[in-house]
Amino acid sequence: MLASKRTKRERHYYRSQAIPRFGLVVTLCWILQGCTNNPYPRTDDNEKVLYLPFDEAPRTLDPAVAYTTTAHMITGETYATLLEYHYLKRPYTLIAGLAKRVPEAQPLEHGKVAYRFELREGLLYEEDPCFALGGKKRKTRPILAEDIAFEIMRIADPAVNSPVPEPFANIDGFREFSARLTELRKQRRGFDKLPTHQQYAETGAIRGLKVEGKTGLRIILSEPYPQILYWFAMPFSSPLPWEAVAYYDGKKGRPHLADHPVASGPYMVTRYDKQARIVMERNPNWHGARFPGPPGTVYPDQGESGDLEAGRLNAKVAGKPLPFIQRIEYRREKESIPAFNKFLQGYYDVSGIIQESFDKVIQEDNLSPEMVRMGMRLEKAVEPDIYYIGFNMEDPTVGAAAGERGKKLRQAMSLVTDVKEYTRLFTNGRGVPAQSLLPPGIFGYDPDYRNPYRALDYEKAKASLEQAGYPGGIDPNTEKPLRLTFDTPDTSATGLLRYQFLVNAWRKLGLDVRIEATNYNKFQEKVRDGAYQIFMWGWVADYPDPENFYFLLWSEMRRSKNQGPNTANFSNPEYDRLFLAMRSRDNDPERIDIMKRMRKILEDERPWIEFFHREAYMLFHGWMKNVKPSGLSTPMTKYRDIDAKERAKKRAAWNEPVTWPLYALFFIALLILIPGIRTYLRERQ
Amino acid sequence: MLAYIVRRVAYGMLVVLGVLFFLFLLFFAVADPDDIARKALGEKVDAEIIEQWKINHNYHKPLWPSIDRPKDNLLVDHFARMLSFDFGRSDADDSVISERIKKGVGPSLALTVPMFLLGLFFGVLLALFVAFFRETYIDRMGVFLAVLGMSVSILLYIIGVQYLVGKLLHWFPISGFDPSPQVIWRFLALPVLVGLIKGIGGDVRFYRTVFVEEIYRDYVRTARAKGCSEGRIMIRHVLRNAMIPILTQVVVAIPFLFTGALLLESFFGIPGLGSMTFDAIDGNDFSVLRTMVYIGSLLFIAGQIVTDITYTLVDPRVRLE
Repeated sequence: MLASKRTKRERHYYRSQAIPRFGLVVTLCWILQGCTNNPYPRTDDNEKVLYLPFDEAPRTLDPAVAYTTTAHMITGETYATLLEYHYLKRPYTLIAGLAKRVPEAQPLEHGKVAYRFELREGLLYEEDPCFALGGKKRKTRPILAEDIAFEIMRIADPAVNSPVPEPFANIDGFREFSARLTELRKQRRGFDKLPTHQQYAETGAIRGLKVEGKTGLRIILSEPYPQILYWFAMPFSSPLPWEAVAYYDGKKGRPHLADHPVASGPYMVTRYDKQARIVMERNPNWHGARFPGPPGTVYPDQGESGDLEAGRLNAKVAGKPLPFIQRIEYRREKESIPAFNKFLQGYYDVSGIIQESFDKVIQEDNLSPEMVRMGMRLEKAVEPDIYYIGFNMEDPTVGAAAGERGKKLRQAMSLVTDVKEYTRLFTNGRGVPAQSLLPPGIFGYDPDYRNPYRALDYEKAKASLEQAGYPGGIDPNTEKPLRLTFDTPDTSATGLLRYQFLVNAWRKLGLDVRIEATNYNKFQEKVRDGAYQIFMWGWVADYPDPENFYFLLWSEMRRSKNQGPNTANFSNPEYDRLFLAMRSRDNDPERIDIMKRMRKILEDERPWIEFFHREAYMLFHGWMKNVKPSGLSTPMTKYRDIDAKERAKKRAAWNEPVTWPLYALFFIALLILIPGIRTYLRERQ
Repeated sequence: MLAYIVRRVAYGMLVVLGVLFFLFLLFFAVADPDDIARKALGEKVDAEIIEQWKINHNYHKPLWPSIDRPKDNLLVDHFARMLSFDFGRSDADDSVISERIKKGVGPSLALTVPMFLLGLFFGVLLALFVAFFRETYIDRMGVFLAVLGMSVSILLYIIGVQYLVGKLLHWFPISGFDPSPQVIWRFLALPVLVGLIKGIGGDVRFYRTVFVEEIYRDYVRTARAKGCSEGRIMIRHVLRNAMIPILTQVVVAIPFLFTGALLLESFFGIPGLGSMTFDAIDGNDFSVLRTMVYIGSLLFIAGQIVTDITYTLVDPRVRLE
């Protein structure tokens, strides 16, 4: 009826409005249809794709240079190593990787030692355009022993800027090669413009690196250094084809080697947008994919106690060829809160626990009922590290120069630092109180050892302080509380709060410890000049050997002498002698005995107050299988598996869009606006 | 007008040179290359490696020109590179900065352009709406909401919207980015919404003031006396005459669409130039920072000149001399 009253012009107007309105409705329906918080394509729902977040873009993927955890996530999976760690066994055990077996040390004359690696047969790189340099239409080529020698020469090359030349400098002639190369680059015009492999060829090989045929590599060390084997389980010494270095030079639109790995491992990088998304897929040329069978190419059938109960040792998977996961998708998440929320929605498979949600996730050191209902699994792993409070042993008050007085002062301060309270306040209780410098999982760690100076005892501390000549903390020279400084490069509010906790504990003894927070450069300057007294530092091990901890207090590593990591400048001839004896020994009872004697020296001398070993709490969704955390940044994705169907089902159930608030909003808006508009129009009329 | 533009460009060049010198003082003379190297390489590395890094990144050169090295120094290097748009490599990850800019400008524009256009559209629309209902409770409520919107920190909006819309209602992904045309809108929905909520309060307040001022002008009274409808007056007369102050705000903002949105990109995982700048600030990546500050100053000067020119286009009374 109403339509009949409309004029021709009005009818035309309503008709012309019909199409845009219809379009609006269609668009709204399309938007509502597409409304989902799933950030991934639906086609991947039932695929074995592992989704992981990363917060920091890797600086480089050059295996000789990459040293950060994020970079090792990629290089560890793409660059195969001569040796690997057993996935399940603890303490960490080396197994053969690209090599046929773990080599034995062969003593040579003049105290030298040799190791001979024999590569497996039929090893290939992934297909890559760089191999066309070695012959037209060539897409890949075998992995050769000379590729490992080439990579070690790159570590020796100062222009490559590898952060780890020190351990490889034990190879006979390593330093001379480096010096010869530098000299040639200075003297011969145009030498540095030659392709890298030609420069190395003209420089002459490293004396202690003998390539024997296509698959044999003999390494001669100028002195015993059994820990060198661990360095062959890291991507630094992975085989690298010379073609990759020559081709990926950043010229003519080609990427740099730092952004383009050439894989020899179980996965290869298929998309590398390091600011946003990194994708790795199975490498069909990986030796495990072509010849499964040896350890490291199939799921292990042995582990440690607890693996069976945790479902990690399962007859169904033992001996099955690796890898299980088809693709790894890394998505950049710079902020931890969105990343953790996406993990709770099922869009990431693994996560740490953010400080803000810790109480929601963990209750009484276990998963909260809500997380248990979601089928989550909590895995704890003690990191191979040590955080400590150090004393500058060259300081006249707290150091060795103060003799017995200094020692008693250090002992007193050690007796009142409460690590349990510290971790409760600042790390949500995550952290294992350190009794010695060795963390659990490292050979020589003694779970029953109790350091007498690491148990809280104020009375003993006061007595010790009195013996030091500072009764009640009073310095007899000034008749005021003994003034000391705690030096730190951390000027953040949280940092200062942490250090204030320590200072407060020492204040209870009557000591006046002042926090001197400066920027990193200024702090470095202080350390260089020896102008510091007490500090807090941490060390993360490169490999799981006690030598990588005890060397931190070896006098040859003193910061004041050799710019080494012995920042306490500790020097004790007996300790040094024992260290050298321990360093070159295999893991036998005698080595443990030596370490006990070293521990006793540190216990008494107190150059450090051993504080804690970090403890990682990792959350895994129930659909993740074969999960065993590792404190070391070693590749392990090839052992893990995903139940993709279960994941898709749970994701759909957890993320059903809630639409009623949209309608509610619409009605609220109408309720607010309609009376106003009606009133206004009535007034106008 | 040409003479005016030439003069403005010349002034702009002087400002750019001043900015470059200021950047040099800030990033080369004050910052210590050792500190930059350690930040990039980590604390474990030896002094030799630090030295090599400095050579690779040209930080080993002397700061100022001298008689024996008039060209081979950081000052000349810095000016030559910046003026020829050769920004070099990032201190943090060795990536080529110009390539990162090319790669990042797309995602940044994908976020900032819809945010800008929708912000302008809704800002003007709501301002017209509240100006139309001036001095009623709708106007007062609009002003209250606008002030409230301006006063709250963007971080709260980000966390709130991510929690409410992404986590509780499951409408859109909490964060992430996919440039495919079919799905990109799903990733941009939340950051654009946050950008709109944060920006619209200020816009509505400003535009409303301009519109209300215009509404009481004589020409509006004349139009009303001639029987023009209120809607027609608002759209045809008031909006057109309020264009100059609106343009001033809008045109100056356009060049900065290219530099992205620092916090939004960072929190929503959009790999644009804002996110790149945020990373550079966070990681002491001075080479990226000085490039972005330099580009920002160029865009600002360009924005100023373009604004002046647009005045003449929207208002024939304005002459540039």
